[in-house]
Formats: sequence, C-alpha cells, structure tokens
Amino acid sequence: MNTMVEVMDKASGAISSADLANSEHSRVTVGEVTVADPRMTCRGVDVWYGSKQAIKGVTLDIGKNEVLSMIGPSGCGKSTFLRCLNRMNDTIDGCRVTGAIRLDGMDIYDKGLDPVPLRAQVGMVFQKPNPFPKSIYENVAYGPRIHGLTNNKAELDELVETSLRKAGLWNEVKDRLDQPGTGLSGGQQQRLCIARTIAVSPEVILMDEPCSALDPIATAIVEELIDELRANYSIAIVTHSMQQAARVSQRTAYFHLGDLIEVGETNEIFTNPQHRLTEDYITGRFG
Amino acid sequence: MPGSAPPGDLTKGHTVRRYDQELAKLRGIILEMGEHVIEQTQAAVAALVDREESQAFRVLDREPQVDYLSLDADEEVFRVIIRRQPTAVDLRIVLALSKIAGDVERAGDKAARIARQAIDLEELGKESTHLDGDLQAAFRCLDAKACCMFERSIKAVASFDVAEAVTIFEDEPALYESSHGVRKLLSEQGQEGLIPRQTVSLLTSAHALERIGNHASNIAEQVIYVALGQDIRYRNREILIETLRHRGF
Repeated sequence: MNTMVEVMDKASGAISSADLANSEHSRVTVGEVTVADPRMTCRGVDVWYGSKQAIKGVTLDIGKNEVLSMIGPSGCGKSTFLRCLNRMNDTIDGCRVTGAIRLDGMDIYDKGLDPVPLRAQVGMVFQKPNPFPKSIYENVAYGPRIHGLTNNKAELDELVETSLRKAGLWNEVKDRLDQPGTGLSGGQQQRLCIARTIAVSPEVILMDEPCSALDPIATAIVEELIDELRANYSIAIVTHSMQQAARVSQRTAYFHLGDLIEVGETNEIFTNPQHRLTEDYITGRFG
Repeated sequence: MPGSAPPGDLTKGHTVRRYDQELAKLRGIILEMGEHVIEQTQAAVAALVDREESQAFRVLDREPQVDYLSLDADEEVFRVIIRRQPTAVDLRIVLALSKIAGDVERAGDKAARIARQAIDLEELGKESTHLDGDLQAAFRCLDAKACCMFERSIKAVASFDVAEAVTIFEDEPALYESSHGVRKLLSEQGQEGLIPRQTVSLLTSAHALERIGNHASNIAEQVIYVALGQDIRYRNREILIETLRHRGF
C-alpha cells in the first residue's frame, strides 16, 4: 500500500516514478522490480529478433516460493521474456539476448553453461499439453533417466509416483501407468506435463498460458496445483486471463510493447495500479 | 492519476461501451437515491419544527422509494461483477457505490425516523408544547448543515470529486457544534415546559440529523477511495484535510 503522501503526490501531479514512466521517452518500470529473496534475477534484459527489439531493458526478480504472473496484450513480449529464463530462445534463429539473467547467482547465459541441465532446473509448461507419445510412466521417467537422477528402477518408480502425486494426478493414473499419455484428457495431460517438469527437480517452473486449452474445471485443478507447488518452487506464469493472474500469483508484472511497465503485489496491481497503461489494460480500456 | 478515462468521469473509456453504461446506470441509481433522501430529510424536519403531521406521513409514504432503489443498486452491483469482473478503478467504483448505497439508504431511514418523531409529537396533542424560536432555529441550522453535507457528498459521487469530498470533512466540526447546540437548548428547555417524551423525540431527531451528516462523511471517504485508490477511513481528519488541501484538492 502506498503512503498517503505518495498517493497525494500522484493525484496532485507531483513528479513521481509513475509520472516519469508515463512519459513517452522513458521506460522506467513502476513498482519494486526486485525482491528480498530472489531465485532468479534479470538485469537490463534486451531481446532482439533480427533488427526488431522484442524486450527492452527489463529488470525483474523472481522470488523464492512465489508465483509471478506476467500479463499484457499480444506481442508485448511476455512470452519472449519467459523463454529467456531457460534459454528457450537459443533455438530461434536471429534471436539475440543481452543483459544478465542469473539463477541463484549463476549466469545462465554464461558461454560455458550447457542449456540442457539448465532447462531441467528451470522447467517449462506450455500452452498446449504436449506429452511424449509414450506411456504415462515413461513421460515422467524420461527426464530423470536422461539426467541420471536415479540409480535403479525402484528409485525411478518412487520418483515417478512422487512427481505424479505432486501434480495431483497419481490417483487418476496409478492403475494405468503403461497406457499412452496422449490418451488422457486435456487437463490430465497438462498435469502430466507438470509432473514431467517436476520429476527433474527444477527450482523454477515457467508456465506459458498453461490453462488456455483447458476447461474451467481442469483450469481450477491446475490453479490449485500451482498454489501447492509454490511451497517448493518459484513459478513464473504468462497468462491472458487477468482473473487467473489475480487468483494464482503474489506478484504481477505488466508488459507493453517490450517494456516492463509495472510490477507489484498482485492485489495492488488489480485494485490500484500506478501506471496508466496498466490501468487501461486491466480495466478493458486498451485499444 | 492512472486510467485514461476523461477527467470527471472515471466510469467511461471502456473498449466495451456497454460497461460504461452499466457503471453509469449504477451511479445514476445512487444519485437518484440521494436526491430522494435530501427531499425526505428537509420534509421531515419541516414536519417536526412546523408541526405538520401530514408532511410527516408523506415522508413515511415515500420511504420505500429509497429502499427499492437500494435493491436496484444491489442488483446492478451483482450484474456488473458477474459480467465484467471489474478491476482497478472499476472495482473501486463498484465496491464504493455498493457501500455508498448502504449509507444513502440508512440516511433515508434517519429521515423517516425524524418523520415518526414528528407524528409522535402530534399524538401527544396538547400535552406537548410548540418549540420556541431558538429551538426552531437551532433545528433548522442543524438540518441545513446535515442536508448541505449530504447534498455535497452526492454531488461528489456524481464526478468522484475529491475537492468536494474534502469540504464535507471540513464541515464535520460545525455539524457537531450545531448538534450540540440543539441538545443544549433541549436540556435548558426540559426545565421550561417540554415534557420528557417530547424532549426524547427531539433528541432522537437531532441525533438522526447528525447521523445523516456522518453518512455524508462516509460517502466522501468512498469518493476519495475511488479517485485516489486510498482507503482513508479511520485516518486522522485534520491531517487528512491538511494533506489533501496541501496537494491541491
């Protein structure tokens, strides 16, 4: 909550960080971009697709045991930024990322760093559930096996069960682990993908519109799961549903045309945003 | 201030124009309720001071109008929440108007309470004495202050006007002073002819007028909540007024 003086400053037209950020020539992010206990830190991140700049100097922390939601209109750069966090953009020709992104102090863009184990530490769940064309068991076991996380079959079995339990799917699939993952419902497939992500012991889970292909019941189950996962992981979620952002996250970041416009406590962003662009977007005054 | 809505009307500017209309409709109901309450209060006080029983009955007959409008306001609040899931300034508008509807409805109840006291006094017939000039003047002064505050609070709602809301806080001491003046006179006149039941009725009416002023203050707090996004309830009034004035409101 802002102090009375800050609020009065804002309302009376005194120069504030919000005013500076509202000006056309400035892109100062409104709100606290850093947190006291960060898992990931991003400093001055720029992303270019060829000559087009998609992300402009974004500085943002992802805290431990927090859900950070990223919202904004299509093309604002939120998914691009999310994909920077586990170097998914490395796979895109012509994509260039500058600035510093650190995971527990480690520079994830260090030239000597192998992105494959990084993507286990910073897992990703996509918009459309994408289980491997393998059994439910193999979908979860595949990652731990290639990363050498278990020593024998018993350990792997236990890890598969634990991951499926954490994803809230165990009771629904325990009797049919050998059946294809693609035979599950959309919501179950998405939770299978979350189990697959959890199985390789990530520290951060990235979710790119994880519920956009799900019905409201499956969405509610995944949202409940996100809340439970927060106890063990940091989560960054991109969503077009502002109600979802309000429900699942503790902090919200608003992106606009590649700029990070505002970051704040989710309650504050949805009741009293400080930046005009944020307010316009979340109240449906955009465009 | 955040938001691209034109100054003076925070309800406008949505991509979905129907949303603007829904918020405007909700606010319109509140404004209509407010107008009724002002008329009712003035009529009730006139009935009390001038001993016009028929006027008091008319106030009671019209009392349900505000109650029904209050139900309409609730229904609109539900509709907007269900259809639009309001956020930010829209959420504050809906929450505040819902609370304001409650304050306006209760202010209407106070007007009816004064009317009932006027009828009670008439039923006392010859037992009760007419109010002397000082007491009448004191009542009219209290009525004017309470109604003026209430009217300005409704005006502030019409445009979520912070400066107008501040004037209501500034008037609070005068309201209490006026209410105290009535009580003091009643205390003195209790020894000069007013029968106890008459004194109680008049005290009840004075208290009701003071409460109408309080409802105006509550409404002003909600106006500031909408416009500035700051919940200023329970804040020190003097500091609040000074801060708001210092900042140009």
